[in-house]
Amino acid sequence: MVQATESTNTTGVGDYFKNIWDALATTVAGMKITGRYFFQKPITIQYPDEVMPIPDRYRGIHYLEQDKCIECHACERACPIDCIEMEAVRHGKELEWISFTVDYQKCMFCELCVYPCPADCIHMGTEFAFVTEDRSELNLDLLSYQGMSRDARIRMKEAAIKKAEKEAAKKAKAEAKAKAEADKAAEGGAATAGEGAQGADDAKADDAGEEPTDG
Amino acid sequence: MLNMIPTEAASVPLVQEGTVGGNLVLHWLEGIAPEGLPGWLLPLVTAHVSVGIVVGMISLIAMSSVWLERKVSGHIQCRYGPMYAGGWHGWAQTIADGVKLLTKEDMVPLGADRPLFMMAPAIVLGAIFGAFVAMPLSPDFYFADLNLGLFFVLGMSALTTIGVVMSGWASNSKWSLYGSMREAAQVVAYEIPFGLSLLVPLIVAGTFNMREASAGQADFLGMGWYIFKNPFMVPAAIIFFIAMLAETKRAPFDLPEAESELVAGFLTEYSGIRWSFFFMEEYAAMFLMCLVGSVFFFGGFESPFTHFAGEWFGTGTFVYNVVAALTLITKSMFGVILMMWIRWTLPRVRIDQVMTMGYKYLTPLALLCVLGAAVWEAIF
Repeated sequence: MVQATESTNTTGVGDYFKNIWDALATTVAGMKITGRYFFQKPITIQYPDEVMPIPDRYRGIHYLEQDKCIECHACERACPIDCIEMEAVRHGKELEWISFTVDYQKCMFCELCVYPCPADCIHMGTEFAFVTEDRSELNLDLLSYQGMSRDARIRMKEAAIKKAEKEAAKKAKAEAKAKAEADKAAEGGAATAGEGAQGADDAKADDAGEEPTDG
Repeated sequence: MLNMIPTEAASVPLVQEGTVGGNLVLHWLEGIAPEGLPGWLLPLVTAHVSVGIVVGMISLIAMSSVWLERKVSGHIQCRYGPMYAGGWHGWAQTIADGVKLLTKEDMVPLGADRPLFMMAPAIVLGAIFGAFVAMPLSPDFYFADLNLGLFFVLGMSALTTIGVVMSGWASNSKWSLYGSMREAAQVVAYEIPFGLSLLVPLIVAGTFNMREASAGQADFLGMGWYIFKNPFMVPAAIIFFIAMLAETKRAPFDLPEAESELVAGFLTEYSGIRWSFFFMEEYAAMFLMCLVGSVFFFGGFESPFTHFAGEWFGTGTFVYNVVAALTLITKSMFGVILMMWIRWTLPRVRIDQVMTMGYKYLTPLALLCVLGAAVWEAIF
């Protein structure tokens, strides 16, 4: 069709029919191409239903391994725009988390918080969708729940049970020892004194054996 | 030639003596009507019911064509098009759009010629619906069996141009005016090859009556289509198709609403339901032109399916008529899809290219085709 207008300046009869031929041929050629595309599978990815594969090193919303975190504030200090804040209460060796927030209004996903972490517990995740009705909702708490983690609770409970068992064992041994001493006092023989010393040694060894697992 | 004068108002379907059938609605009403009704009542009710059926059917076809266009354009561009509304491949997308357009504010620009501005979409839509009244769908499914059916259809479809020019002038906007002037120039240029290319099948068919023209292709097991009956029919069909694209202002001839130059052409100032009237008119006109094309080139409602339906169930039965109507609609939908395919293939041509093509190429070639077909018919 483009050729058809260029013929306005030319007068040849051959040009006239060439224009007709060109218009038809180019139209058919174009329609072949679009027809091929028509029967090709669409390359669209229906986003909310299907998601494109996300590369492993994608820098999305942070992912925090709460159990490994030791509340050292290294990431907080490393953050160039101070968008990380954390707060926790210590219970002996366990941490009771109050908050670990990242303000994604400010965060620029530079990954600088990930490198200094001594416990290797903060990572960049693959989640990237930020749709909120209010900007304050963009200040995300990375703890999946408040307070202590489930694992920490289990660890604390196990430690408490072990401590109670140890104390019970100690108490039983002390009672046994007292009983043995009472027996010895009743018999009054020098030979039984050695047995009493033996029992005391055993109790000591038990204590030493339990101590490493204690905590 | 005296009996070729068109019958009067097409909105009142006319039952002609000597033709098979008549208006089905009228037949049905005559069957159930009680005695003693005034004579004018049944034709009046028939007219309203017929127009209701036409408007409903054409709206349905226009809406599904909009959906189809979006799917075709999507797949040509390797995407899906609408996928969510309604569940299955977004079938309800047009309904959702329609509801949205209906609820939009009916805006009229301050400087616009208010009555003309508001009247233009009605004229455009009314003209195209009026044209459908003369379209037969099958030997017995039709509303008005006009002797000059083709003239009536062409006249009514050309009337839409008046509405477009009216909208462009009334909008009081330079974009609208440019668009409507282009529409006028384009339609004037392409009416000539359009009419001339239709003369070729008319020479072969020997009738302007679309139902008879369709029925004249029933030989060879329903494959005696006019396009096979004369060597000049093939170029005539191509000219008809190109002129049809320009008449319905479809790309690559959509200069009246060239959105890259004129904001939206004559549609610039329109919004909401009035805008959607123009849109519906475009798709209804596409379907109408494809109906005309399939009646006069590709066998109308005649096909092997229709032929064998007529043999097994008998011509004039309901099943035969349904098969015939489905045949015609399927053929037309193929034409509509072809128009969409062209639209998403070719870029828009310039206005001087449009004029060159119309006056310098299509018109002489169409004249040659008419001459050749006439000589061929005279010799063989």
